[in-house]
Amino acid sequence: MADIRNYTLNFGPQHPAAHGVLRLVLELDGEVVQRADPHIGMLHRATEKLVEHKTYLQALPYMDRLDYMSMMANEHAYCLAIEKLLGLQVPVRAQYIRVMFDEITRLLNHLLWLGAHAIDCGAMTVFLYAFRERETLLDCYEAVSGARLHAAYYRPGGVYRDLPDSMPQYEASKFRNRQKLSDLNENRQGTLLDFIADFTDKFPKYVDEYEQLLTNNRIWKQRTVGIGVVSPERALAMGLSGPMLRGSGIEWDLRRKQPYEVYDLLEFDIPVGVNGDCYDRYLCRINEMRQSNRIVRQCVEWLRTHPGPVITDNHKIAPPSRVQMKTSMEDLIHHFKLFTEGFHVPEGETYAAIEHPKGEFGIYLISDGANKPYRLKIRAPGYAHLSALDEVARGHMIADVVAIIGTLDIVFGEIDR
Amino acid sequence: MSAMLKLEVDGREVEVPPGSTVMDAATQLGIFVPHFCYHKKLSIAANCRMCLVHVEKAPKPLPACATPATEGMKVWTQSAQAKQAQNGVMELLLINHPLDCPICDQGGECQLQDIAVGYGASESRYTEPKRVVMHKSMGALISAEEMTRCIHCTRCVRFGQEIAGVMELGMIGRGEHSEIVAFVGKSVDSELSGNMIDICPVGALTSKPFRYSARTWELSRRKSVAPHDSLGSNLIVQSKGSTVMRVVPLENEDLNECWISDRDRFSYEGLNAPDRLTQPMIRQGGTLKEVDWQTALEHAAKLLSDVRDQHGAAALGLLASPQSTLEELHLAQQLMRGLGSENIDFRLRQRDFSADGKRSGIPWLGMKVADIGRLDRVLIIGSYLRKDHPLLANRFRQAAKRNQEVNLVHVASDDPLIKLKTKLVVAPSDLPAALSRIVAAVAELKKLPRPAGITNLAIDEPSRAIAGSLVSGGSTAIFLGSTAEQHPEAARLHALAQEIALLCGAKVGFFGTAANSVGGYLANCVPGGAKGLNARAMLEAPRKAYVLLNLEPELDCHDPAAAMRAVKSADCVVALSSFRTRATEYAQVLLPVAPFTETSGSFVNTEGIRQSFNAVVKPLGEARPAWKVLRVLANNLGIPGFDFDSSESVRDVACRTADIPARLDNGISGIDLATAAGANQPASNALERIADVPIYFADAIVRRAESLQQTKDSREPRATMSPATAAKLGLSSGDSVRVRQGDGEAVVVLNLDEELPQNCVRLATAHPACSGLGPMFGEVSVERAG
Amino acid sequence: MIQSIRDFFRGFLLLELLQGLALTGSYLFRRKLTVRYPEEKAPLSPRFRGLHALRRYPNGEERCIGCKLCEAVCPAQAITIETAQREDGTRRTTRYDIDMTKCIYCGFCEESCPVDSIVETAIYEYHGETRGDLHYTKEMLLAVGDRYEESIARDRAKDSAYR
Repeated sequence: MADIRNYTLNFGPQHPAAHGVLRLVLELDGEVVQRADPHIGMLHRATEKLVEHKTYLQALPYMDRLDYMSMMANEHAYCLAIEKLLGLQVPVRAQYIRVMFDEITRLLNHLLWLGAHAIDCGAMTVFLYAFRERETLLDCYEAVSGARLHAAYYRPGGVYRDLPDSMPQYEASKFRNRQKLSDLNENRQGTLLDFIADFTDKFPKYVDEYEQLLTNNRIWKQRTVGIGVVSPERALAMGLSGPMLRGSGIEWDLRRKQPYEVYDLLEFDIPVGVNGDCYDRYLCRINEMRQSNRIVRQCVEWLRTHPGPVITDNHKIAPPSRVQMKTSMEDLIHHFKLFTEGFHVPEGETYAAIEHPKGEFGIYLISDGANKPYRLKIRAPGYAHLSALDEVARGHMIADVVAIIGTLDIVFGEIDR
Repeated sequence: MSAMLKLEVDGREVEVPPGSTVMDAATQLGIFVPHFCYHKKLSIAANCRMCLVHVEKAPKPLPACATPATEGMKVWTQSAQAKQAQNGVMELLLINHPLDCPICDQGGECQLQDIAVGYGASESRYTEPKRVVMHKSMGALISAEEMTRCIHCTRCVRFGQEIAGVMELGMIGRGEHSEIVAFVGKSVDSELSGNMIDICPVGALTSKPFRYSARTWELSRRKSVAPHDSLGSNLIVQSKGSTVMRVVPLENEDLNECWISDRDRFSYEGLNAPDRLTQPMIRQGGTLKEVDWQTALEHAAKLLSDVRDQHGAAALGLLASPQSTLEELHLAQQLMRGLGSENIDFRLRQRDFSADGKRSGIPWLGMKVADIGRLDRVLIIGSYLRKDHPLLANRFRQAAKRNQEVNLVHVASDDPLIKLKTKLVVAPSDLPAALSRIVAAVAELKKLPRPAGITNLAIDEPSRAIAGSLVSGGSTAIFLGSTAEQHPEAARLHALAQEIALLCGAKVGFFGTAANSVGGYLANCVPGGAKGLNARAMLEAPRKAYVLLNLEPELDCHDPAAAMRAVKSADCVVALSSFRTRATEYAQVLLPVAPFTETSGSFVNTEGIRQSFNAVVKPLGEARPAWKVLRVLANNLGIPGFDFDSSESVRDVACRTADIPARLDNGISGIDLATAAGANQPASNALERIADVPIYFADAIVRRAESLQQTKDSREPRATMSPATAAKLGLSSGDSVRVRQGDGEAVVVLNLDEELPQNCVRLATAHPACSGLGPMFGEVSVERAG
Repeated sequence: MIQSIRDFFRGFLLLELLQGLALTGSYLFRRKLTVRYPEEKAPLSPRFRGLHALRRYPNGEERCIGCKLCEAVCPAQAITIETAQREDGTRRTTRYDIDMTKCIYCGFCEESCPVDSIVETAIYEYHGETRGDLHYTKEMLLAVGDRYEESIARDRAKDSAYR
């Protein structure tokens, strides 16, 4: 009699549901997963090592490219770590801008996650709708930073530039008459804040639409309810964070538990799940989008009435304005030195974490007093989540693995880094 | 020893010797006090006010550099008062500073920038127009195009006065009208002027050759050793890609302190001269053609072994330049000895080899370089000290300011810019006699019998003065310079110096003429056995084949005319050279070898310190390190013992550091001190030549350094004689004269110098204009040209 | 009890599926959001960071003074500059290359430039058919600047208040 052996299946690295370059080696007994062994490293760019040879400013754009679905959130943790070591006070307006864009980033991330998760499970339409909203939010990214993805907008000491007073508009073309054009440009008449406010007005309705398509849908529920159950104890033990943890019923959110920036001044709720399955995590994230929308709304209101500086006036850290640089000697010297040598960070080590859309994203930074990090360690939430995959997926059917990968919300930029 | 002073800086206790300043105390604690005008090697000016610190009980902040430390003093460098003072001074300094950072060469290595960021305000309150200072012309090496940047720290002025020994820059005007200027119509000509670029804390004085070519952060830095003089100054060679961009000093308190000479600093331009040899060449059918290494080396090996087989090994000769590395010299002599020839020499500019076999060791400085400053009485014989050894001269200059008495006996009147006790200028032929008189005078003062051979000599006044100075001090030394070494009676001069030393308990030392003047002996790159020919004999009795290492015979030898005759008449010349020299006229094989920045190697300086360095950049083109070339050449010739795989292994075979001190000894014996009357006197109507090696023609690299060649020291050589001699010949200053020596002649302009001895003509050697002339000291005739 | 009956009928009548279908169906009749690229383009922010350009002064003199700040700050080391003294004594570049394949479009070069010479334009439609095509030399960058100076200046003017 022939040996009965488990069947080994390579899932990825070029599988569309592998969310990037995940190579998952599945050991199958029939269709039941016996073991799920993720192989990582295909997107490794040695970010942590590279930044040891870059000035603090030069390393900033590298952060965008970690979790490339939540660019500004990564920058945020990095800037917080530097500011902590420098003991630098960030202007309040900059803090609000950062919070607002953190939440916009959360929306961007969750929208992509929602679309991708749904399409993995067979629901095409949500993906299209989610990208419609992403488009609007990416316009906000572009309006402030000039880039739709890799923003490089947050800086140690604040943010690079204030929010623009006008939004770029569609131009006339042969396909649209004046009426159609003005419809298209309707929400672009005012400032960026007006544009965002308009979005926050519309967004809850959009979330309702996603829910209409998914929440009660029997196929969706069949694919997610009772799949990938993580008990609260195991969730803690495996180092899960963010929606992965809250889905299991643990109310843990750094924005509340270790408030940074102005989160303690804002109103929002922390949704938690009950069963710790994929469905609960879906509900958590849907709810988080509604809460994020609330936060963005509050930030818009505050920012409208509180003009002021958006970056520290300490030119030993942040370069002076263009006008100052061209007219005053001190400013020119600081400009020159900041862009060549960069600023020096006092000796010490620190850990700064933020509630990243995916969980706790932390930067552990050691400085030896030089203009470059001595060591920088990135605590990427996706890494802990992926390492839980084996335990979560064991005993599930092969099709459920796709749903579980979707619910983990992994992005290889940060896992491989 | 008086008691140490105890004081407190920033709350930390420190003990300093009396006479120290607050700055010294802070430095001792490792506390940095910002400063511009203060420099540890210069006098204190306290005019930048940047180093203001808070002193207990002082009503106002005090400058740390100029405030003497006192017992129980309490100083704060970071208190509110100190910070406010620093902030204010910085603002003042920047008021008139132009917004030049982006185009300023100093950007990135500018103390003003660093201190402005570290201690200044981050914004300016000044909106009024800034002052403008006109650019200045300071010669070919220093760019002073943007003197508006100057902050009037006067470091350059003090450097000139105190280190270079000549005030070439000064400050005129007051307040906002202050300006640093050179004397009207004059450039800065000091052989140490490049150091002003280093010490200028801003971008006012920058390097002209380096101008706008690179930024400090792009350059990679490697340590190296200067190849141009016998001091072995430590260098930092900065390169970008495979090009050396500039050279700056590496501080070594025992040798070059924090300075280097302009020759060491700017010679890098010669490394990439257009006539660099980058491809091996062989002569076939009368024309040179470029070939690959294998062909060239095989061809060279065949030619050399052919000559040996036909004419015997004694027909081969090796002439190596003393600027070659220890490894190169060792392998070259081993190659020649492997071929069976003992005709080996590196002392190309030496004339008198009668001391060979009579020395008790290798001639060297006789002491540590740093000990020069501790001498009380010094006699320097035959040295163009300032030009040959710019930094040794500085040692004497500083010591002479304290209590050292420096006496100079020389053949030329050049001002060494040292406070001299006595200066005696004599004709070269009279030099032994002059020394004999000093011997006699010292013996008389010491009431000791005159040594044998020094009899019936009248002691003249200068000799008595020198002798009086020499016997009056605690530690005394007699130094022999390059002229004494190149003199036709060098051995006798050496012996006479030794006699003086014996009589007054002094040490004898040689300054050395080149980077490896000691290393050449250590590598045994000197003729051996009874039959071995020295450099002079090899050229006067031409060989059939020569191996030339790093030299240009028409410029690097004592007798250029004889050297050229010899190499041109040879059947085979294998030239290892970095440049397409005139060897293209006579060499059968030209092998491109790497200059010091492109090879690893070692120099043994005059103090006997072996300093090794690594290559800074890759060799240009097909050039290769000479030690590798010699190794393969020897392998091709089938000579055993050449299995080296690194320059370090060659070096350790050539000489081990521990062995060096035992081999250094300036003793000499068996030389007849007596001067036969009129032995060296030229025929009554002939003139005597005094030849110096101009500072920027000393070796092949310097000769090709473009900017150095534009300096005053590099202008066309002139014939110089005393007015009386000129009058006798019916010549006057500015005349174009034809100087004949042997078959050669040179047409140059005549200069007059009152201090020069009668019947002497001073005319440089080592310059292409004089390469047709004969020996450095010999009979010449001068007549009006055209 | 009543709840379970209600759920049964809901499930039986495919109610939630029909709701979803109704939603998607309603989009058939709504305004289209798509733009017909390339005839029609989405709006671009004046801060947009696209292809680089080197600018000139109105008198035709190139702005770049070869200070190398952009080269120094470039995190990707995409910029290569060589400088020398021009005949008129000014500091100028003899080489200014940007390797667009290395560039990460962070905009630091533009931020660092003290004379507004190197800028990132709003041009995003450029391509290369070989690797070398994306290696932009000084001439190419100046040509981009010359061609688009008007829009470059307009965008800088719009954003000048924020920088």
